[in-house]
Formats: sequence, structure tokens, C-alpha cells
Amino acid sequence: MGAICTLLYVDLDVFSSTYMQIVKLLGLDVPSLCLAELVKTYCNSFKLFEASPSVPAKYVEDKEKMLSRTLQLVELASETWLVTGRHPLPVITAATFLAWQSLQPAYRLSCSLARFCKLANVDLPYPASSRLQELLAVLLRMAEHLAWLRVLRLDKRSVVKHIGDLLQHRHSLVRSAFRDGTGEVETLEKEPLGQGQGQGEGEVGNNSLGLLQGKRPASPALLLPPCMLKPPKRTCPTPPVSTVTGEEDISDSEIEQYLRTPQEVRDFQRAQAAKQAAPSVANPP
Amino acid sequence: MDQNNSLPPYAQGLASPQGAMTPGIPIFSPMMPYGTGLTPQPIQNTNSLSILEEQQRQQQQQQQQQQQQQQQQQQQQQQQAVAAAAVQQSTSQQATQGTSGQAPQLFHSQTLTTAPLPGTTPLYPSPMTPMTPITPATPASESSGIVPQLQNIVSTVNLGCKLDLKTIALRARNAEYNPKRFAAVIMRIREPRTTALIFSSGKMVCTGAKSEEQSRLAARKYARVVQKLGFPAKFLDFKIQNMVGSCDVKFPIRLEGLVLTHQQFSSYEPELFPGLIYRMIKPRIVLLIFVSGKVVLTGAKVRAEIYEAFENIYPILKGFRKTT
Repeated sequence: MGAICTLLYVDLDVFSSTYMQIVKLLGLDVPSLCLAELVKTYCNSFKLFEASPSVPAKYVEDKEKMLSRTLQLVELASETWLVTGRHPLPVITAATFLAWQSLQPAYRLSCSLARFCKLANVDLPYPASSRLQELLAVLLRMAEHLAWLRVLRLDKRSVVKHIGDLLQHRHSLVRSAFRDGTGEVETLEKEPLGQGQGQGEGEVGNNSLGLLQGKRPASPALLLPPCMLKPPKRTCPTPPVSTVTGEEDISDSEIEQYLRTPQEVRDFQRAQAAKQAAPSVANPP
Repeated sequence: MDQNNSLPPYAQGLASPQGAMTPGIPIFSPMMPYGTGLTPQPIQNTNSLSILEEQQRQQQQQQQQQQQQQQQQQQQQQQQAVAAAAVQQSTSQQATQGTSGQAPQLFHSQTLTTAPLPGTTPLYPSPMTPMTPITPATPASESSGIVPQLQNIVSTVNLGCKLDLKTIALRARNAEYNPKRFAAVIMRIREPRTTALIFSSGKMVCTGAKSEEQSRLAARKYARVVQKLGFPAKFLDFKIQNMVGSCDVKFPIRLEGLVLTHQQFSSYEPELFPGLIYRMIKPRIVLLIFVSGKVVLTGAKVRAEIYEAFENIYPILKGFRKTT
């Protein structure tokens, strides 16, 4: 849709309202968005598959390899709730960038997302940076459950080198690194109390284990959409039960508070007249 | 005036009922021209009936059963009287009368047992959608335990007289009027916290109330303000035009899966709007379903439609609770 808007020189809001109206009025059955097709189409637009003066030799990549890895990363993002309800293109941009970096990390780790998009002659969508951070956080969680990566203490830069391994074992890693949060949202409030007590007892028992304690993987994180993991922006207290019947008497004093006094009316009229007269007065030099 | 600034233009119209005098062009109307009379079907009971209609059918069946039971009791009493009177006569005659008297009862009881059960014999053709039930069947009586909260009521009333909007804007403290921008006075009161659009024809729209009663009280207060300003305002044809409710199912929802299995009712375009738009046919309610599990229901004329729509959608949403 972004491509259509660009070609038609229209604003996305105007396009979206017209499109949704047409679909509804004509009863059209539009197939739902296919992420795999969008990945292939979008990746084809990247100018990184052939050597050119603007693209260093070390940055050129094989199209099929990059496409395959990008698809796997997008699939991983979809499985870990990073795609649902969001614009798909920023996720695909972040996945493409990570796929490209991971294929030759030694030369490409120093390249930022913005520079990558510029070299590839592709617009950088604004949310792509946050999608990138979210995807890296998921990969780091998975890396904690891969035996030969656990000891390395990876961060968001170094984990890129091991994306190949992580994707190879992604199904089992997602199962071990994350626990299903769908049944646990309601008990989230009770968990801190239970965990606090459990952790206290656990610490007393584990002190004797020593070195092994640091090598154990972290407990599985909740697999939930990011919007459910963040604390709510504002609390919405439930409104008190209303006893209004709709037929109550309305007191005159309550209505009169909404009426201007004669003095206020005169003042308001004077202010309006002054406002209308103001533009006709020439500005002093 | 934009009442829902946080929504994109096409979704803003969801809160505006057809025919209501709201600013701007309503992009969407919750009313849709489907005529198949379908409700979403994750549960096997109400294939083509709404819960309200099903309850009415059950009540009618119960009434029929009670009437037939009363008839049976009357017949039994009559037979006992006849048998008592005929005790002195031959016993064979009594037996034949008893048996002949019982045959009609068997016929009546047979009709009772063969009455159609909910969901097994729909009154009109089953829907043509190819969807397969995702969740196991749940009995009709099991409710979600979640009650949608009403967030906004839109109502209209006719004040029954022409109004001079400039006079109202001049003499009322709580009014704003900019004829170049919009041809109505925008008035607000504190209790109930609402906003009204007052037109020169005498028609008024009242928005922002949290219940039907509050909407009516607010509309009456606006009418009283207009009366105090010297106009012979009445209170004619008050009507609730739209009700908006919201609730939280407290689990994430795979919107991509929902749009695949309920394609006929769903519209999910993440490039345009983060929520899935579900157009339920019976009751005719539009639901906005979000990945966080929050659901907005709109397009209702009565509160029961909101509750019924949510009870219909909840089993469907539960089907998408665990997909990993």
C-alpha cells in the first residue's frame, strides 16, 4: 500500500479511508497480507546484490541467501508477537538488515541501519530501529538457552555473529526461552509476591553451588506482545456505578451557571468588536 | 469537530451513527448490507440464531410443555373420575377406556421429545462460509464472566423550534460557535460530562455519556439551557443512536489467524490500522479487536446488543489464545 500511495502521490490516510470504503461497498474479498511475498518483493528492491561504485565489495550479498535468512527472521518475529498489529515493512527492514549483517559480520557490524538503507537505496521506515532492538532482544533471550553461546555473555552486537545458529534451532529455542504468557496475564500481579519468597529461599539454597549458579539459563520470559509487557501508560479506573435515572429534577441554579450575566455579554461583545476591528488598524513602524 | 482524534479517518466514522448530525463525513457506518443473518460460530448451539432469539424459543417451548402437562393432568383427573364412577361396572371396559385415554397422551409426549434442540435444526439455511470450528463446543449457558463497559453514548433529540445560534453562543458560557468551521453550536456541561451539537433547525446531538440514563439527563439539561436563553425548546423524539463499549479478554490474540478463519466478517490491514475490524451480523455490531486482547464494540442501539456481541466473540477469541 505504501508503494501504491507513492505512485499515486496520495496521503496514506486518504488512501486508507477510500480503500476501506470501496472494499466495504463492493463487498470485495481481498486476500490477507502474505508476509512471505512482501519480504520477497521488498528484498528485491535492495541494491545490494550487484557490485556498484556506491556499494563496497564487502557489502554485496547473494540474493537467495539473504532472502532465505530474512524470511526466517521474519517468521521468528511473527512467532514472538513482534509483527501482529504492526506495520510489516519496518519489521522486514530490520530483519533484512540483521540477515545481511549476520552473513558477513566481520565486515558489516560497523554499518548502522540508516547507512545500510542508504546504501541499498531504500527508505528507512521510522519504526525500523525499535523493531531491530526488539528482534535483537528476542535473539539474545534465545542465545541464553543455547549451550555453546551461554558462556559467551553476548550483547546486541555480538549476537549478530551467531544468528545462523540461532535460526537453525529457533523452534526449540523459542520453546525453551519463552513461556506462553496467554494464561498468565491475569496472575502477573500475584507473581512478584510469589517470586520474591521463592527467590529468597532459592538464594539461600544456591549459595553453595557457586560457579554453576552464573551458568544457568535465565528463567523463560513471558511470550507476549510488547504492548502487554510494557506497563500501562495510564490507569483507567472503573467508573462508579451510576444511579442516574434520566428523569431527575434539574435545578435552576445548575443551569444558570452556564448562562452569561448581562455584564459578561456586554464584555464579550466588546471583545468581539475589538477583535474584528484589530486587523484594519495599520501596524506602527 | 473530531471526536476521536486518536483514530485514523476511516475508523473515526465507526463512532458516528448513520443519520446522526456529526461533523465531517462518516467514513464508515457500522450498518452493513449483509443479509444472511449470521452470527459467528465457534460453538455448535446457535448456528443461525442469536442468543436472544434462542432464549425466546426456549421460553416458548417451555410454555408449550407446561400447557401440555396441564392438559395431561386434566385428562388424568377426568380419567380417574371416570374410573371411580365405573368401578361398579365391568373391569374390562375400564381398561379399554384407560388405554384409549392414554394414546393421546403418548402422542402429545412424543411431540415434546421430538422438539428440535438448539443448534441441531436451524430455522434457516446454514451459512455458506467454509469456516471450521476452532474451539470445542461450549454450552450456550457458559458466559465469559467479562462485562463490557459502556464508554460512549450518542443520542439525538428534537428541541422542536428554530434556534438562533449566534444568540446562544453569545449568551451561554459553555458554548462555542464558528460558522466557518462547522454549522452548529458546541456546548458542554460538567455533569454528566458530555458535549452537545446544537443546530439551527432545533435538532441536537448529545455525546460522551456513559449510560443511557446519563445521556437522557444530559440532553434534558441542554434543552433547559436553551429554554433559559429564551427559546421555546421542547424535548421530542429522544433516541439513543449509538453505544460504544470496551473490554479486555486479558490474553493476546493472533489477528492473522482470526482473519483467515473468519474472512467473511473480518478486515485486518496492519498497514492501515493495528486492530482487526470484525463486522458481526447478528447482532449488527462492529468490533475492533487488538493484539493485546482489548476489544471495542460499537454500533449498538441497546445495551443488550453489546453484551450479546461480546458473548458471541469471546469463544472465537479463546480459540486463538494458544497458537505457539
